[in-house]
Amino acid sequence: MFLNNREGLALALPAAIFSLLLFLVPVAILLSEAFRSDTGWTLSGYTEFFSKPLNQVVFFRTLKLGVLVAGTAAVIGYAAAFCIVNLGPTARGRIFGLVVLPLMISPVARTYAWIVILGRTGIVNDTIVGLGLSDTPIRLLFTETAVFIGLLQLFLPLMIISLVSAMENIPRDVIPAARVLGANWIQVFIRVILPLTKEGLVIGGTLVFTGALTAYITPAILGGSKVLMLETLLYQRVNVSNDFVSASVIAMILIVMSFSANLLLKRIATARS
Amino acid sequence: MARTTNWVVLGLTLTFLIGPFIIIIFAGASAGESLAFPPAGLSLKWYAKVFTVESFRQSFMLSMFLAVFGTLAALLIGVPAAYALNRYKLPGDETIRTIVAAPIIVPGIIVGLALLRYLVVPLDFTVTMALFFAHTALVLPYAVRVVSSSLHNLRADMEEAAVLLGCSRLQAFTKVVLPNIRGGVLAAFILGFVTSFNQVPVSLFLSGPGVRTLPIDMLAYMEITYDPSVAALSALLAFMSLAIVFAAERLLGFSRYV
Repeated sequence: MFLNNREGLALALPAAIFSLLLFLVPVAILLSEAFRSDTGWTLSGYTEFFSKPLNQVVFFRTLKLGVLVAGTAAVIGYAAAFCIVNLGPTARGRIFGLVVLPLMISPVARTYAWIVILGRTGIVNDTIVGLGLSDTPIRLLFTETAVFIGLLQLFLPLMIISLVSAMENIPRDVIPAARVLGANWIQVFIRVILPLTKEGLVIGGTLVFTGALTAYITPAILGGSKVLMLETLLYQRVNVSNDFVSASVIAMILIVMSFSANLLLKRIATARS
Repeated sequence: MARTTNWVVLGLTLTFLIGPFIIIIFAGASAGESLAFPPAGLSLKWYAKVFTVESFRQSFMLSMFLAVFGTLAALLIGVPAAYALNRYKLPGDETIRTIVAAPIIVPGIIVGLALLRYLVVPLDFTVTMALFFAHTALVLPYAVRVVSSSLHNLRADMEEAAVLLGCSRLQAFTKVVLPNIRGGVLAAFILGFVTSFNQVPVSLFLSGPGVRTLPIDMLAYMEITYDPSVAALSALLAFMSLAIVFAAERLLGFSRYV
């Protein structure tokens, strides 16, 4: 630990100033845009935004998909993490590597794959028509389901990683002990595993939820203009109608939602203990 | 029994996570004209076509430039910051930490729009410059975090010893600290490179005539053409990322740092 503060500041300030000037200040100006009008400060940007039915639909859809994706990821994540932790050390490392691997692949590539799977002539539709379940292909792309599947695939690894590292810290004999003392698996989960892994769940949940809220590629490719989410709506507002007030409102919503998700989950995690 | 269930759950999860990627590889290797799986016969013509598309070549170079130099710039300011935050008791160090970490929290699309509107338009920044700054800011939090954690594991008294033995502070840093955190810096570079290269939302608004990052170019291409070349390109890029990560893992146990 060195005590020469001036030297320390000289080292830290370039990064801080860079981030402040080229990042925080422009973002702050953008956020302030919805509050400004020719005559002074106003909230009309917000009231106008929320008075339009389309915007309301998009807002609640984004929220709903975020919650659904995070919730589903938590369920699958617990199952997968539990299985991974039960493996021997070598197998555990390999499987963990396979879970992390998709994170290194471009989201464009990962989302594009779903067009091949869910498209009109995709695997799923070929199977459905082939089996005679339907005469014509069903529309699977540009539906909320498609966006949900794409988002889940994109962000599930983050949940599994968070839960695996939380579960690795559970003492080895706690779960067998609970079983011996007569708890069934549901009780073991609710009263032993859940309390001991809630930090991992909070981290994973925040990452998946905010990731799903702020994803652009997945709703753009798999949802198109039929299933707009806040990010794609923002892009459309700016590109189609130069509507920067709406863009500013959406930006604020996204930031506030990400922050409150984090706070809420933290609150839940601490309330239980 | 329990063991079988274990593998069934893992098998299903991994199929969901990795299956689509395998499908992309084969869809790109189609001999047919349109995107399909299973492909209409196998050929490498779409993989070859990727290299002949002029816009892909241009946008690949731009993405490469941003990923390499944006990450280097982030390290150039990020390593000293990480060092200062770890080794000095700074007034307001929490504030500095928050400011530097902020780019992770703010959605990329907003950053891109803000830079376009307040740097490019009024201040006459070129789009390439704005892209460069945006990618640097985006990578900065990772650079600071990864380098911080390897500095954290390095005892501060080693530098103090070096100074006592006659090194200047700068020498103590270049001769003692830097060699010891080399792995962390390299890991930060790779993480930054992959993050920047795959980044879409930040670059969405920051594109101009002839200036487009590769993922944005791919999005634009798939809007007009429905041939397997984007699948082939996706597969190639994925292999590139994986090769980088595997090489890093082999060389320095990358996963320790991330």
